[in-house]
Amino acid sequence: MKTSAVFSAALSLLSSLSLVSAASSSSESSSSTILPSTFKPAPVFKNTNLVHIISVEKNFVKENINAVIENVAKTPQNAYYLPFTSDQISRLGGVEVKDRKDSSAPPFVAEVVEFDKESDVQYLRIQLAKPLAPGAQQTIGITYYLLKAYSPLPATMKQEETQFLTYSFSAYAPSVYNTLKQKTEVKFPSSNFPDYTKLPGTGDITEFPQKQGSKLTYGPFGEVAAGSVQPITVRFEFNKPVTHVARLERDVEVSHWGGNVAFEERYELYHRGANLSSLFNRVKWQQSQYYQPNTYALKELKFPLRVGSADAYYTDVIGNVSTSRFRSNKREALLEIKPRYPLFGGWKYPFTIGWNSDAKNFVRTTPAGGYVLSVPFLEGPKQIEGVEYEQVELRVILPEGAENVKYHTSIPSQSITSANVEIHKTFLDTIGRTALIIKARNLVDDFRDRDLVVSYEVPLAASLRKPLVIFVSTLAVFVAVWAVGTLDLNFASSKKK
Amino acid sequence: MSADPLDTLATIGKGKSTRSALRVVILALIAAASIASRLFSVIRFESIIHEFDPWFNFRATKYLVANGFYSFWDWFDDRTWHPLGRVTGGTLYPGLMVTSGAIWHALRALTIPVDIRNVCVLLAPAFSGLTAIAAYLLTNEMTTSNSAGLLAALFMGIAPGYISRSVAGSYDNEAIAIFLLVFTFFLWIKALKQGSMLWGALCALFYGYMVASWGGYAFITCLLPLHSFVLICMGRYSTRLYVAYTTWYALGTLASMQIPFVGFLPVKTSEHMPALGIFGFLQLLAFLDYVRSAIPSRQFQSFLWIFAGGIFTIGLAGLVVATSAGIIAPWSGRFYSLWDTGYAKIHIPIIASVSEHQPTAWPAFFFDLNMLVFLFPVGVYLCFQELADEHVFIIVYAVFGSYFAGVMVRLMLTLTPVVCVAAAIAISTLLDTYLDTKTPPEDQQSAEGSEKKSAKPGLKSASKPVVGVYSIWSKGLMVGSFSIYLLIFVLHCTWVTSNAYSSPSVVLASRMPDGSQHIIDDYREAYQWLRQNTKEDAKIMSWWDYGYQIGGMADRPTLVDNNTWNNTHIATVGKAMSSREEVSYPIMRQHEVDYVLVVFGGLLGYSGDDINKFLWMVRIAEGIWPDEVNERSFFTPRGEYRVDGEATETMKNSLMYKMSYYNFNNLFPPGQAVDRMRQARLPEVGPTLSTMEEAFTSENWIIRIYKVKDLDNLGRDHISAAAFDRGQKKRKATKKRGPRVLRVE
Repeated sequence: MKTSAVFSAALSLLSSLSLVSAASSSSESSSSTILPSTFKPAPVFKNTNLVHIISVEKNFVKENINAVIENVAKTPQNAYYLPFTSDQISRLGGVEVKDRKDSSAPPFVAEVVEFDKESDVQYLRIQLAKPLAPGAQQTIGITYYLLKAYSPLPATMKQEETQFLTYSFSAYAPSVYNTLKQKTEVKFPSSNFPDYTKLPGTGDITEFPQKQGSKLTYGPFGEVAAGSVQPITVRFEFNKPVTHVARLERDVEVSHWGGNVAFEERYELYHRGANLSSLFNRVKWQQSQYYQPNTYALKELKFPLRVGSADAYYTDVIGNVSTSRFRSNKREALLEIKPRYPLFGGWKYPFTIGWNSDAKNFVRTTPAGGYVLSVPFLEGPKQIEGVEYEQVELRVILPEGAENVKYHTSIPSQSITSANVEIHKTFLDTIGRTALIIKARNLVDDFRDRDLVVSYEVPLAASLRKPLVIFVSTLAVFVAVWAVGTLDLNFASSKKK
Repeated sequence: MSADPLDTLATIGKGKSTRSALRVVILALIAAASIASRLFSVIRFESIIHEFDPWFNFRATKYLVANGFYSFWDWFDDRTWHPLGRVTGGTLYPGLMVTSGAIWHALRALTIPVDIRNVCVLLAPAFSGLTAIAAYLLTNEMTTSNSAGLLAALFMGIAPGYISRSVAGSYDNEAIAIFLLVFTFFLWIKALKQGSMLWGALCALFYGYMVASWGGYAFITCLLPLHSFVLICMGRYSTRLYVAYTTWYALGTLASMQIPFVGFLPVKTSEHMPALGIFGFLQLLAFLDYVRSAIPSRQFQSFLWIFAGGIFTIGLAGLVVATSAGIIAPWSGRFYSLWDTGYAKIHIPIIASVSEHQPTAWPAFFFDLNMLVFLFPVGVYLCFQELADEHVFIIVYAVFGSYFAGVMVRLMLTLTPVVCVAAAIAISTLLDTYLDTKTPPEDQQSAEGSEKKSAKPGLKSASKPVVGVYSIWSKGLMVGSFSIYLLIFVLHCTWVTSNAYSSPSVVLASRMPDGSQHIIDDYREAYQWLRQNTKEDAKIMSWWDYGYQIGGMADRPTLVDNNTWNNTHIATVGKAMSSREEVSYPIMRQHEVDYVLVVFGGLLGYSGDDINKFLWMVRIAEGIWPDEVNERSFFTPRGEYRVDGEATETMKNSLMYKMSYYNFNNLFPPGQAVDRMRQARLPEVGPTLSTMEEAFTSENWIIRIYKVKDLDNLGRDHISAAAFDRGQKKRKATKKRGPRVLRVE
């Protein structure tokens, strides 16, 4: 009894959450605002202090700008703009902006401004929760990810060599506002970064950057005008695969009759690291397995799934791949897969994995009679070096006849490009199942823990339709067979009678 | 054991409806068993297309499903036989693909989301269930005993001779063709027995389907006329035969001519001439029959002789003239090899190089048919005893089927149905005799009574002679022993299916030290690598065995494949493989080859590799270029085929040898390299390659892929360029030694 009470409490919480989300999801359906093509942000803010942290520890770039901003205009302002190049904006994802002083506040809405497709400078508009009064200050933290950020140097190398990547950025944080004081930190995966751009120092520091362990610091710099750029290139050791998922299709199929939730994920996986200068040599590869197991080739992917997952499979276009292990027990469900061949730079390996889980683990009923499904938005591999996803298409296939579909997700809205409800026909469906299709782009595996909550209702008539249809059509077949059987097609029969 | 329970047992099945219900249930169970027994490989491995030819059929089916029927009909495939291409739509039997395409579309229409691959994989087992039912129907036409039909269905369902070509994943023409064969025969017997045009037309329809499905349709085309001919010779000409045969021939030939690959062959080639001849002969007989009824018998006699003799002479002369003039094609090579088993080896090595075209070894009969092979003659003998029209058919079929099965391993398949039917007749006759519970009235006592009676000869002679077996002991012994034989047969079939016929051959299974199964998946590893990491139109050169697999799994253009329609092109590949690099490189450049794929079993001890097939490549190439390729030079002076240090220079310099063993010695300590397949210790210095570079080698080295180098940037030939590269290293070595030498100016 007690557990059920807890249960219903949790359910009501979930249902209220989904209702809230439904309201918000309708407003954020378009993630960009259209402005006149001559648009240029007004210099209404200044950054009094700014710390720009660039992390190249994983195979995507995570940048973090913490800024104290001050309104220098006469009127209250609520839109803070952040500039990107048009190339960057296509690779930009996972933007989250928070109020640094108030961690409990919901993140600010950040969206790409749509004004002139040809322009090389594009803007991200951050909508502050409340307009900032003239002269007032606020501390904001902007986090975003850039995909396909590196280029290997040398671009081709031997398979036993160590891979180095380069990344270029500006020592001055990109801003359309004047910045009084700032510094830029770069975090590397290891302390081996042989080449980086050096700048003359200011004050008592003779030369930038300063090196501390696996970290480089450019700055602090003095006042920098809006739009200033100081190009920096760093080259660092990254002897790990640069895993890039060009496209991930993730299907979540809910079956009420079977009490099952089936997952299937189709990956289009690339290695964006250095290409091989001389072609793959199996002898060297087998030897290096013993002597030098650390390699930049992708050998294995690990998928920690939700506890209770079962019947995992791993296939590719020509059938089952036998090099996988699946361990599922009370504490964990770990799927370890190996590609058919070790993946080197420039190589490609598309594959499919899937598994089942009991519907109890994901679906709850609400007191009102509806259902709430809560699944992870992403369940991709968990690798030390990280994984980036360029395109993600999540299809949640609900039971036939499901209606009133609402969803909520904590994935940054900037990354979600569209969400539609469509019809998916399978397994003797007559009207087809309701499918919620969410398309997202430029995500990274840091968002593995984010959930997608979908609420929906299934009328009783809809759930009884299928057995009824099957029963009636089978009956019809039998009747038809019987009717045909009674026909007499024999020429002679009439004579005999 | 008293007779009572036996009687009650027998009366249970007496009711007509009970019997037919039982029959339906038993047939359904047999069909289910025959499907289930073919699923070993799916359960053990996965739902995968097996071997070589099925991969082409699978690819063609995917093309059909993706592009529709008409573009499939007109399909010109530029991804095989580069640079010639293949008119695939016109050179295949479309029945198989169309069948699975239709099934797939039907399931889709019911919104059952089934993968076309699963349809293809499970098509053969599904049709084997139908074959069992067809065998039941065919046998029922032979005897009045229903149990014979059920036994035949059971034998057909699990006989290894048929399972060998119809396990799940064996997606080949035979998968549906055997069902069509048996069913066409059933319809033929039905048409013949009833003289019915409807059954004849149905027979023609299924014959047309058979023609669309398998080149083995010629077996029907020859067997039905032969059967008719034998019947006529036995003086059994009847209007029933006339109706059945003419209906079948006219409609069937028209139907068969709709298949582009067959086209006008039914009126042009010698294989089809018997059918045409018997057709004409039957018209004559009908005419004569009519004349005989119209004119007096004395005149008729002379008329018959003149008329028949004249027609026969004219017909034969016409055939000879037409054949020599080239209007009618002579027998094709494969047919010649059916009469002369040594023919192919001398004239067409490409046919002889296929293992399934070899003559059958005796143990294979037992392996594929087990005890049926002993019961088969008994069944045929029983057919002789009755010798109605349909029994003549079984006899004719048995004779020809046995001959062909003896000539070519593959044709064991066409023999199996008649063996099953004959054996079923034999066993059911035996069981009917021994399981007859009816005993004569005076013998209603127990078994002891009958024994006593046999001890008194006086009484026995006085009583009426009773024919039959009444002793419970002899009944029990006979029935018991046959039950055991049947059980052993089932065990044998299961064992053979599980061990011999259920390997996909794309995937190899081995055991880990702890006993768990380890899958060796090198083929797909390499094919997947080719598919994902080479250009879409990179041309792959390999021996023709792997052409279909490369097309199906790697999706890359190939030079030659298992279709083997162009012997010269195959010989070209054989020449490239067996010649020196200097000779091979221009050939490969001319054919725009990007990658060369070889199969190497030396590391794993895998016997089906290219070095073992190499002599066939040499032979086929020698057939076209006897001056340039010479089989003898691949053997040592003592006539041995060696790959170690003793191998001949020709062998060591051949491209195939180099590609197989390139870099192999680096895997071992110096001088320790061993080819585990051939148990040969390889020379310490491995072969060098200058016109190509290693591109990929699979985990167990089964597949090795080489990239053909582009022309040298400096315009040198590759040999000198490679020598220069190696020379540089040597020069460095001499430089190191340099300082020791004192230079005096």
